[in-house]
Amino acid sequence: MANPLLTEKSGDTHLLLGNEAIVRGAIEAGIQVVSCYPGTPSSEVPDTFYRISPEGKYYFEYSVNEKVALEVASGATLAGAMSMCTMKHVGVNVAADPLMTLCYVGAPGGLVLLSADDPGCHSSQNEQDNRIYARLAGMPILEPATAQEAKDMARDGLRLSKKHGAPLLLRTTTRVNHLRGPVEFGPASDPGKAEGFKRNPSKFVPIPAFARPMHLALMERMEALKAEAEKSEYNTLSGSGDLGIVCSGISRAYVNDALENSGLTDKVTVLELGFPYPLPENKCLDFLKSVSKVLVVEELEPVVENDLRVLAQKNELSIEILGKGTLPQHGEFSVTLVENAIRATLGEPPVVECDCTLPTLPMRPPNLCAGCPHRGTYFAAKKVFGDDAVYSSDIGCYTLGILPPLQAADFLICMGSSISAGGGVAQASGQTVVAFIGDSTFFHSGLSGVANAVFNSHNILLVVLDNRTTAMTGHQPNPGVDKTVIGENDHPLDIETAVRGLGVTEIRTVNPFNQKKTLAAFEELKDMSGVRVLIAKEPCPLYTRRVYKKVAPQVAYVSETCDGRFECLDRLACPAMYKEGGKAAVNPILCNGCMLCLQVCGHIKAKKRGS
Amino acid sequence: MSANPKIRIFLTGVGGQGTLTATTLLAKTVLAQGLDVTSGEIHGMAQRGGVVESTVLIGCKSPKLGHGEADILVGFEPMETMRALPYLKKGGLIISSTEFMPPLSVAMGKEECPTIEDIKAAVAGCTDKVYFMASQAIGLEAGAVQAGNIAILGALCAAGELPFGPEALEEAIKVNLPAKIQAVNLKALELGVNALNT
Repeated sequence: MANPLLTEKSGDTHLLLGNEAIVRGAIEAGIQVVSCYPGTPSSEVPDTFYRISPEGKYYFEYSVNEKVALEVASGATLAGAMSMCTMKHVGVNVAADPLMTLCYVGAPGGLVLLSADDPGCHSSQNEQDNRIYARLAGMPILEPATAQEAKDMARDGLRLSKKHGAPLLLRTTTRVNHLRGPVEFGPASDPGKAEGFKRNPSKFVPIPAFARPMHLALMERMEALKAEAEKSEYNTLSGSGDLGIVCSGISRAYVNDALENSGLTDKVTVLELGFPYPLPENKCLDFLKSVSKVLVVEELEPVVENDLRVLAQKNELSIEILGKGTLPQHGEFSVTLVENAIRATLGEPPVVECDCTLPTLPMRPPNLCAGCPHRGTYFAAKKVFGDDAVYSSDIGCYTLGILPPLQAADFLICMGSSISAGGGVAQASGQTVVAFIGDSTFFHSGLSGVANAVFNSHNILLVVLDNRTTAMTGHQPNPGVDKTVIGENDHPLDIETAVRGLGVTEIRTVNPFNQKKTLAAFEELKDMSGVRVLIAKEPCPLYTRRVYKKVAPQVAYVSETCDGRFECLDRLACPAMYKEGGKAAVNPILCNGCMLCLQVCGHIKAKKRGS
Repeated sequence: MSANPKIRIFLTGVGGQGTLTATTLLAKTVLAQGLDVTSGEIHGMAQRGGVVESTVLIGCKSPKLGHGEADILVGFEPMETMRALPYLKKGGLIISSTEFMPPLSVAMGKEECPTIEDIKAAVAGCTDKVYFMASQAIGLEAGAVQAGNIAILGALCAAGELPFGPEALEEAIKVNLPAKIQAVNLKALELGVNALNT
């Protein structure tokens, strides 16, 4: 049976994740090309496209990084294909270079860039607000607040982008990506074949002489899009009170619930901006003139707030505009937080929040899984280098190596930085640097770091934690993998060959669960200088189970002879192990059979799984 | 039942427990009753063993719940039930598992979990509408430890606070779960409903 997301029928209602709804919207618009680099909270968008791609009518790829992904989508739209490119917010930093110029060159086939922002840093290194990118690059924004809107705005955004030849930003936040709600399907379009590239250098080659008029054309396009925003059904007015509330994104949901909870609906007029940029100035101006005071409810930066302040100033309105200060400039909002801001603005007392106090409970931080090969690599590195080395970390599951007892992550900047920033530490101070990078991150932006380190003779030991998949974001394929959930990788790239090709001569490849060999390789590389690479190669156990359909035949158990020193627990912190009555114990359900603990303590033995 | 009930449910558990599967099934059950539903989840860095929090909201727009906003708290692990207590509205309903999944610091003997008596006392300070049950044991009795979550959902549907009963969940299991695991989950549902009434 075909996947329901691919149905051509309309009228059905399905409960969809925001990210799945975006896929359906693209299919309804007639999407032809999709590229991405996965990253939470965006990952289920490309994962869904990928899973249904054998039956879909579009081309899909996991690109090696966001810059490449956006360039692939740029080429596709220039060839007339309706295109979508998905990434998390920080991915747009990587793609920022093509993005700025793409908005000059334009998108003849239509192009939607999905930026999944993460207020609250649920799974990210910062909270950056990518609505500012849209202002920098010159692209319209749609901001859904429900699953239905995620679907509709993906569809309408693609159509609008194609109509104006304007790359469009579909800006979501974690709550929207990961909410579920009913979505009523519209009819799907058959995309047919892309029109093909039509040569027109003055339009598509931004040498300075052509780029100058392109900038003018971009500004004209934004004027036309402003007219679209003025009449957009995504910008709505409701209520009739004296206090004006302007809200965008998921804040719209909080405002609606807060007003219902508080019964203050008749005291406010609400302007919801689902299509907030370019700002529908006439609509906003009429609104500002109709109320006595305005509260802007938007998470993170005062983007809409500042737009409205400019608009008021230009039109000599002396209206009071509240926003940041009344509401925080960091983190996520909640219904109560928004309700209290509205109450404060109206001079009403705040709602009483829960006064329940709890004792401090043990935390439950995420941890490297039982059987994670990174544990073996970190354990060996710490054994050889102890606290004498500076451990340069990177973005992936393995960043969890920061936790005690392994504590193998001392600093981190961004994807790929472990090599180049690690080189910076080594060159600046002469300190010993051990850098860690995962296989997906290595292909994302590690290759150029290695080239740089070799060229500039950095003194660095690079450890590639090759677990044969992109584990952190949900096991997406990368160029190094052998196999994926939907088939073989036709062109697996070999990391050792790649590193050798970049000029590294000292390379060792080990299985990190073989501690003897791993320790020996670390010892050997420790005594050398220049760029040295250790490849710690062993698949992620969750991936092994899911894709290779393999389970280790043995599990560990602690023999009666255990003398309660707990070195195994204290030094490995494997989640399958625990203390029981003065002795260590292994939970056979959680044990993945990696047998690392057997090499740490002689009192731990192997037995057949299930025996 | 009112035409447009507003019910906010906060669910919490440990990564790998099936919290999100249960959340989605509950949201589908609500939708099948013709009610407006929004559900939210936060996982991200929650690898196996981290806390997973999710919501099911009937008749609301927002997918998120703040402190003091939940009418119902569903805890798939007792310490997580306790951690989530601030989300519960005073006097709200709690359905919780009694079986601990100790976090690493506790397994390593560096910290201690509260006892189930501590948790019951903390809960009693917030509400007297509470049902504790050994959901994993019930799941095992039904045929699979993973089905313990369905037992808890069954109890939730039987507790009388939702605008539908266990038969709505039964229908959702038949429609949404793969055929080969339906029997186990239907059994878990039945045992969960019984556990509530004993």
